Amino acid sequence: MFVCRPLQGSENPFIPEEDGAARRGEGEMGSVVLPTLRRKREVDAAIRDTLDMVLVLRFGRAADAACLQLDDILAKSSWDISKFATIALVDMDSEEIQVYVDYFDITLVPATIFFFNAHHMKMDSGTPDHTKWIGSFSSKQDFIDVVEAVFRGGMKGKLIVSCPLPPERIPRFQLLFKDV
Amino acid sequence: MAMYTLRLSRSPPSPDSLLREAEGAGRRNLGGDGAAGLLHAGKTWAKIMASLADSFLADLDELSDNEAYPEEDNAEAGGADEDSDDDMPDLESLNYDDLDSVSKLQKTQRYNDIMQKVEGALEKSTDLSNQGFILEEDPELKFPELESLVHHPIDYARVVKKIGNEVDLTLVDLEGLLPSAVIMVVSVTASTTSGKPLSEENLLKTIEACDRALNLDAAKKKVLDFVEGRMGYIAPNLSAIVGSAVAAKLMGIAGGLGALAKMPACNVQLLGAKRKNLAGFSTATSQFRVGYLEHTEIFQSTPPALRTRACRLIAAKSTLAARIDSIRGDPTGKAGRNLLEEIRKKIEKWQEPPPPKLPKPLPVPDSEPKKKRGGRRLRKMKERYAVTDMMKLANRMQFGIPEESSLGDGLGEGYGMLGQAGSGKLRVSAAQNKLAAKVAKKFKEKSYGSSGATSGLTSSLAFTPVQGIELSNPQAHGNHLGSGTQSTYFSETGTFSKIKRT
Repeated sequence: MFVCRPLQGSENPFIPEEDGAARRGEGEMGSVVLPTLRRKREVDAAIRDTLDMVLVLRFGRAADAACLQLDDILAKSSWDISKFATIALVDMDSEEIQVYVDYFDITLVPATIFFFNAHHMKMDSGTPDHTKWIGSFSSKQDFIDVVEAVFRGGMKGKLIVSCPLPPERIPRFQLLFKDV
Repeated sequence: MAMYTLRLSRSPPSPDSLLREAEGAGRRNLGGDGAAGLLHAGKTWAKIMASLADSFLADLDELSDNEAYPEEDNAEAGGADEDSDDDMPDLESLNYDDLDSVSKLQKTQRYNDIMQKVEGALEKSTDLSNQGFILEEDPELKFPELESLVHHPIDYARVVKKIGNEVDLTLVDLEGLLPSAVIMVVSVTASTTSGKPLSEENLLKTIEACDRALNLDAAKKKVLDFVEGRMGYIAPNLSAIVGSAVAAKLMGIAGGLGALAKMPACNVQLLGAKRKNLAGFSTATSQFRVGYLEHTEIFQSTPPALRTRACRLIAAKSTLAARIDSIRGDPTGKAGRNLLEEIRKKIEKWQEPPPPKLPKPLPVPDSEPKKKRGGRRLRKMKERYAVTDMMKLANRMQFGIPEESSLGDGLGEGYGMLGQAGSGKLRVSAAQNKLAAKVAKKFKEKSYGSSGATSGLTSSLAFTPVQGIELSNPQAHGNHLGSGTQSTYFSETGTFSKIKRT
């Protein structure tokens, strides 16, 4: 009676209804709204149900300046990479999400984490932290390059990929250990 | 109805009186029952043509000797009459029967003869070209080149009349008869012409012929105007599309509605197209071929970029309308108006902007396999990076024998099996790649036959001090590294040997 089949990327149940336009392939760039996740089950569903596509989760706050710039780049490129990547925004201030914040050890805002087929993809960009991408991107094309590198590595079965960007375009930050 | 028969039996009246009569008939009957009036007018029109042609023929006999007067086909002038004949069945049968008897009369020999020779009157260009043919004989003596310079027969007639017997063309004013460039060419050619002035008698004949041609032309114009006025009854659908003036012209030049209907649309498009440019006008700006259709309102209102397509479309639809009209399929003209609407809609559709393009998302990376190329060119390119036999030898080592190296003592690059004893060759030569071998073979075949001047003792082997003579043993497989199929342990040529025990 019921036929089981794997969900495709466009049928992610974590899409709230009002943000369906982002996923349904709108032609215009400007009016695309990225879905914001606030519950833990939404994040779980997203990670679990995105198949053969890179899942880009941005952890940040909507009001932060760097976050806004990053959000803008993400929104603009979401249609272009819609065939092999999905993007979602995670609100760091929600209490259910703190689990993830602790798990991924997110301190600097914004942080972008890549997943491929429910595996956490690490990227070696010359920074001390390979598990996430800190900061914004300097241009839309840089972001698309990074996502493409993650996709290729993921399709090959790698769990860590190297960053295709030259070092001057990678935002640098300093990791402090226990405020030292 | 008896009037008609009377008319026939009388000798043909003068053309001018007939013309006047026709005009009067036309005016009188325009208001009245259209068909009868049309019939009357049509018949008088035929009579005009008959009379003109008759007088023309008579003078023709006097004027000149050769009458290579081409006999054209019959249908066209009959067409005008047929139109009026077809109108008759719409009226009471009484008239029709009477007309039938009259028509029978009209099928008499004399009428047929006249009509056969008259159809040329509807083929304006051929008729006038005949006139021109006659004309050209006489002025030919005086000004032979004029015929090739001025193509249109009416213009030719006018020019001949104007020039008369003048020797000096600067005294003749040709302004208004011809375009100024052609006038210039004519005057230049006249100054160097090889003709002589005409004799008095020839001059008179020439002027008469010119007058006759011009009269015919004027009559033709009158007939066309008349036809144009009646176009709404003759061909309502056609005139709905292209307008009555153009429809009249088309019918005139095609030789009747029937002939126009039989033409394919591509010919209809070219009816009335001007001939080639004269006198060195550049053809770089020559427009596409459009005839009378160029003057239709719908053509003029299309933007220039779409004119070729529009012209083809209008020609096609107007041919359809002409065919409808020739069988009287739609006397109200509604079909013609529908076709016109269709044409308008199509032209508007062409002018729509194209639909906006949607931006496509990027394709999935590595989803489309890369297109591998092959072929000779790629093989040649790959040879530059191929691993040569020398490199293969250098990469291998013999068991138990230390290899030599470039800096000695194990430092530097190792040479592997290069140059070691037992490799079967004195020195490693760069193996010729397959392509070069093929090319060399072809080249040798081509240059095999020398001219024979060389002596019989020469050979194609050339020895350089570097090479020395290296005769390779074709049976030595020692250095075959390319293929891995040959056995390196078992000899391929040797057999089991029997050692006799002594």
